[in-house]
Amino acid sequence: MVRYPGSDRNAVNGVSFELLGGELVVLLGPSGCGKSTLLRTVNRLVPLDAGRVVVDGRDVTELDPVELRRSIGYVIQAVGLFAHMSVAQNIAVVPSLQGWKGSDVAQRVDELLTLVGLDPAAYRNRRPSQLSGGEAQRVGVARAIAARPRALLMDEPFGAVDVLARTALQRELVRIVRDLETTTLFVTHDVDEAFRLADRIVVMRAGRVEQVAPPLELFDQPATAYVRDTVHAGDDVYRRYFVHARELLRSGNE
Amino acid sequence: MSLSRARALALIAATPALARCGFDRSHVRVGSKNFTESFLIAEIYAQALENAGMRVERLFNLGSTQIAMAAMARGNIDCYPEYTGTALIDVLHLPPIADSKTAYDVVARLFAQRYGIVWLHPSPMNDSQGLATTREIATAQHLATLSDVAAAALRLRLATIQEFLARPDGLPGLQTRYGGFRFREVRTYDIALKYQALLENKADVASAFTTDGAIESDRLVILRDDRHFWSAYNVAPLVRKAALQERPAIARVLNAVSPAITDQAARSMNAAVENSAADPADVAAAFLKALGGRTNQS
Amino acid sequence: MNYLTAHPARVAALAAAHLELVGVALAVALLVAVPLGLWAARRRNVAPWLLGVLGAIYTIPSLALLAVLVEWFGLGYTPIFVALVVYAQFMLARNVVAGINGVDRAQVDAARGLGMSPSQILLRVEFPQALPVLIGGVRIAAIAMISIATLGGYVGGVGLGVLIFNGLTLHQPQMIVAGSLAACALAIAVDATLRLAERRTAPR
Repeated sequence: MVRYPGSDRNAVNGVSFELLGGELVVLLGPSGCGKSTLLRTVNRLVPLDAGRVVVDGRDVTELDPVELRRSIGYVIQAVGLFAHMSVAQNIAVVPSLQGWKGSDVAQRVDELLTLVGLDPAAYRNRRPSQLSGGEAQRVGVARAIAARPRALLMDEPFGAVDVLARTALQRELVRIVRDLETTTLFVTHDVDEAFRLADRIVVMRAGRVEQVAPPLELFDQPATAYVRDTVHAGDDVYRRYFVHARELLRSGNE
Repeated sequence: MSLSRARALALIAATPALARCGFDRSHVRVGSKNFTESFLIAEIYAQALENAGMRVERLFNLGSTQIAMAAMARGNIDCYPEYTGTALIDVLHLPPIADSKTAYDVVARLFAQRYGIVWLHPSPMNDSQGLATTREIATAQHLATLSDVAAAALRLRLATIQEFLARPDGLPGLQTRYGGFRFREVRTYDIALKYQALLENKADVASAFTTDGAIESDRLVILRDDRHFWSAYNVAPLVRKAALQERPAIARVLNAVSPAITDQAARSMNAAVENSAADPADVAAAFLKALGGRTNQS
Repeated sequence: MNYLTAHPARVAALAAAHLELVGVALAVALLVAVPLGLWAARRRNVAPWLLGVLGAIYTIPSLALLAVLVEWFGLGYTPIFVALVVYAQFMLARNVVAGINGVDRAQVDAARGLGMSPSQILLRVEFPQALPVLIGGVRIAAIAMISIATLGGYVGGVGLGVLIFNGLTLHQPQMIVAGSLAACALAIAVDATLRLAERRTAPR
């Protein structure tokens, strides 16, 4: 569980909300609205000037940042796979840091590759340069959840992936989060993506929160004009489209 | 490999360098100046010490007397060959002394007093300055001594090096002491080409060092310094007092070698290096081998 | 050529001493340059200034620097050793900075986010990827140092420079040629070896 009463410089101001265990919460907003900054306060990549971030009942500033980050998965848009390591070695990074036994690590790597939809035998020893955008990000996700973190931070992870691959990845993510019950905080500027993935959406603009609500509630009861415009509230065609897309994603038939 | 382990390894690797940088005193450091004869004699000293079981480091080719003396003062070198004349004139700034023994006694006393440097036994070899001419010209012009040349200079062409025209014990000094010495023509040459000019009849007289290899040839003669203008220039091993205290054997070894370096030996060694492009190390080794043979026989 | 064929052992011994001088100086130079380069790489405004200073030092004529060092350290091994370490700094530090800063920032961000400590990021992510560039710098520095080290012959040091300067004094061109050829051969061999290492460590 992550809680944020956050006020960080002027990038983010007066933010306060809570995530429940197993939830997938999306931070939605345009570029520069502070959503990435907010995300990075959770694993202390960005320091808070005021306010607190509380994870599992503990204020994050009380914890060793390195240990904290190892317990929270982190996926970024550019993926950042380590170019000099194989896919398996990339995935094994956090478990190795934590001192897992070699055989346990190897087993976990194969487990994860399968989980993210890649054939272990084919992909284990590949190099990042040999992967497509979609494949790379699947490895990135695998790497992030390798050590079984209870929380997952994702910063526009599918933004650099082509549309078809993106849909597949979104579906995988929803499945993984549901199966592993990983509390996930997901940043995007794509309203469509937000609607498909989120249990709740935090709509942000210029460092402030406009509304925190489940997707349909945003649609049916937008708190501000900005929210209304962003989600095309009141437009029935959009509403049906979003609902449909969301259902398809969860049924696996798209 | 962790950072600290890497640093430790590198330090270990650097130890030989640190050792070389003067912390290691197990070598005897022999220096030489930057001309052939100095090389040869220093090489003889170095090999003699090595043959006696010491480890020698060679710091040859030092630019000048000043540099060599400075190196001795700092302990960069322990020993190098020096000439009594050079020591008198260039280091002590005293007037030249023509008599070998007197010159040696003076420099030995003063160096010990002022610089803590010991002069070991001198060699008979006297590398003084001189004037050389061919046998033909000597006969034809009746030249046997410097006084003869002083008078006859108006008819003669001189081949020399730039330094000879400038130094006080070069041409200017000769003119003062002997009078005359106004040559018909004076030309400067590269030190290696000077004698060639003489032999090719482009000059009649050449300035010389009396142990130059070229003089070994039958065709050239050195004119006698009848007024004893030039200083004695006997070579001897100079050793720092501290080095001698650390290793007294240095004196024994070098004193055994020094007396064997005669004018003749010097000239032929110089000739081997200058004319036949022999390696000084080889020439010195041959000299010591012959010496060893001789002392074994006696 | 004659001297080479007549005295192969002597030339080989001098070449070995030359290589040792350069090798040890390079090791010590790295000990200084790598931390220096790392420190500068982390600070965007410091790096150009530092490299500028080192570059200026590099343009000082070697003989002039050597003369100053002889004043301080006397003759022999030390001044030439120090000169080599000093000259190598520019090339090494520059490549450390370029190598570290050339690593994809996304990878560094990911590494941080995943929970690597700063030293772990350095050792496991940045350094392995900066290695080819660093080796390239070592290669260039080594070749320059092989050349500069010949000046050691002028100040009573060791190595092939002794052969070259002795040859000058004794008017024996063969010695000069022998020393120069051997130094050339050394430089080519070192260059080839390090190019191989560079290629081996490059990311596939």
